[in-house]
Amino acid sequence: MIQKGMWWKLSGIILFLYVLWGGMTIPLRPGITSINPSSAKTGDTIELKATGYNTHFASVRNGRAWLKLDSVHAIKALNWQSENNNEVTFRFILPQTLPNATEVFPLHLIIDNETDGAFVHPNALFLSSSTDTLSFDAIPWTKHELGQFNDHQGIQFPYRSILNETIRNTFFHVALWFAMFLLLIFGVVYSIRYLSTSDYEFDRKASAYTNIAVLYGIFGILTGSVWAKFTWNTFWTNDVKLNMTAIALLIYLAYIILRGMNYDQDKRARLAAIYNIFAFIALIPLVFVIPRMTDSLHPGNGGNPALGGEDLDHTLRMFFYPSILALFLIGKWIAELTIRFERVKDHFYLKKS
Amino acid sequence: MNRISEIFLKELVVEFRQKYALGGIFLFSATIVFLVYKVFNQVSGLEWSIMLWIITLFAGLNAIVKSFVQEKKETYLYYYCLFDPLELITAKLIYNILFLGLLFISILIFMSLFLGFPVKDPALFFMGSSLGLTGIAIILTFVSLIANSEQSGSTLMSVLSIPLILPIMMLLLKITAVSLRLISDTSVDQDVWMLAGIDAIMLGTVIVLFPFLWRS
Amino acid sequence: MKFKSFLYNLLLNLTWIMLLIPVTVQAQAMDFLRSTGKIYTVVVVIAIIFIGLAIYLIRLDNKLTKLENHIKNEQ
Repeated sequence: MIQKGMWWKLSGIILFLYVLWGGMTIPLRPGITSINPSSAKTGDTIELKATGYNTHFASVRNGRAWLKLDSVHAIKALNWQSENNNEVTFRFILPQTLPNATEVFPLHLIIDNETDGAFVHPNALFLSSSTDTLSFDAIPWTKHELGQFNDHQGIQFPYRSILNETIRNTFFHVALWFAMFLLLIFGVVYSIRYLSTSDYEFDRKASAYTNIAVLYGIFGILTGSVWAKFTWNTFWTNDVKLNMTAIALLIYLAYIILRGMNYDQDKRARLAAIYNIFAFIALIPLVFVIPRMTDSLHPGNGGNPALGGEDLDHTLRMFFYPSILALFLIGKWIAELTIRFERVKDHFYLKKS
Repeated sequence: MNRISEIFLKELVVEFRQKYALGGIFLFSATIVFLVYKVFNQVSGLEWSIMLWIITLFAGLNAIVKSFVQEKKETYLYYYCLFDPLELITAKLIYNILFLGLLFISILIFMSLFLGFPVKDPALFFMGSSLGLTGIAIILTFVSLIANSEQSGSTLMSVLSIPLILPIMMLLLKITAVSLRLISDTSVDQDVWMLAGIDAIMLGTVIVLFPFLWRS
Repeated sequence: MKFKSFLYNLLLNLTWIMLLIPVTVQAQAMDFLRSTGKIYTVVVVIAIIFIGLAIYLIRLDNKLTKLENHIKNEQ
């Protein structure tokens, strides 16, 4: 028997299951984890060994690879030799000359085959001149056409070199922050409504939503810490976003303390509502403006907002937005339970006195 | 306008009537500066700027807690009959901003006496400081209004206000560091604007919210 | 209160275990979290969210039980 008003709770659960299923089962796009050697000189013939992740090198029939400088300059690998799915060796004959007058070239490795599709490992090989006298000739660099690339099949998440599989944390850690913000917005709206109506129901709602938002914030800090340990190799850095979220959490913990004070109900509710509105407004520069102005270690930063183009590609979006919604709905559900508890408690003590 | 200045003058009179309390705050800052001087003997620019702002923050916190704790509930009722909330909050804000400014300048004088004055870009320093102090004064005024009329008022006050002040503090420390030439940052103008923006937002919010706070 | 003392004991035991585990084992645990493209980091993150929500719900449950007892005593 499904009660009335149950549909959004169930959809929250279903969405979360969808995110868990999709977020954990969909494979990553193939990528390169390491390259050996990482530097070479002009005129060398090198055996370039690439270690891949989620690749199918051994079963490939038509594998190709290039070392690419820019859209015009590239050289093609002579052979494709692989013992297992994750290791492949190419032989490149590097030209005697550099294409233009720069001392060191970062070359990108492009690998293309019919199973994995085409993928790039940027700055794979650093090429420098073998002689002191620099000679430039672009012709050996422009002989090889890149031609048509294969597409990869099915839905796959993008591969990022340090993030690896933890890119899936986008659905949990990043979505937590967004859900937290939605809950805070609900809290502040109820605070405003309390001030204009003086109805305790709105005070209960504001408090419950803000509480669950703070809980999400604590989860966000903890999950972020774990994620940071395995990508940035530290639990806490001096990164601006971390500082700002820590301050935001402190502000809201102060709200919880204020709400827990032993004032009479009317005064407590009004002070809490006023502080909540003030805190929310103080939060806006904290969360939206200052992090944008400063460089951050977070993906997509250095001036860009976190949701910019390539960082959140459409496969991630397919699970990122549902995840925000799911976490928000679960939070709303728990907030609702708290509200109902507080309501019963208030009625009980009101009747008693 | 007339009434604002009236309230303002009244605050001033009340403040000066309690000469000991007022003197206590200035003595407190002087003592702390002297203590810092005795502990460090020689301070670097970084320590100077940090000490300056920490002392200012805590002296200001003490001062504004005091100015509200001394007011009785009856006084508030009296004000409530007499004044418009907007006038009252304006007067209080102006008073607190000026008071905090005075406190800051006196701390600055003590600091220069004992520890030197390493500021290389006074224009930026005073610009940033005045904006930052305005913001701190606005937050302290607002929080003291929330936290007053309660026994544990001063604890609650520091719990509520310090997290709110932290972002301003961080911007201030950065601006001070730039004005001391400890770091070079071309985008420091942006920080100054940011500080001004925070001040404006806080001021607007306080003015909008004060009537609700005032009803008690 | 039974629950609280249980939690306390658990915490104490866990601390002891953490202290007794040699450093190499901890290092192994770290390596395990890094294996297969750091996928277990994601598992830990999900576990944190789940455990956190569970703790919140347990606390709410306890508070509800207390209130129920109060109401029962009144009647």
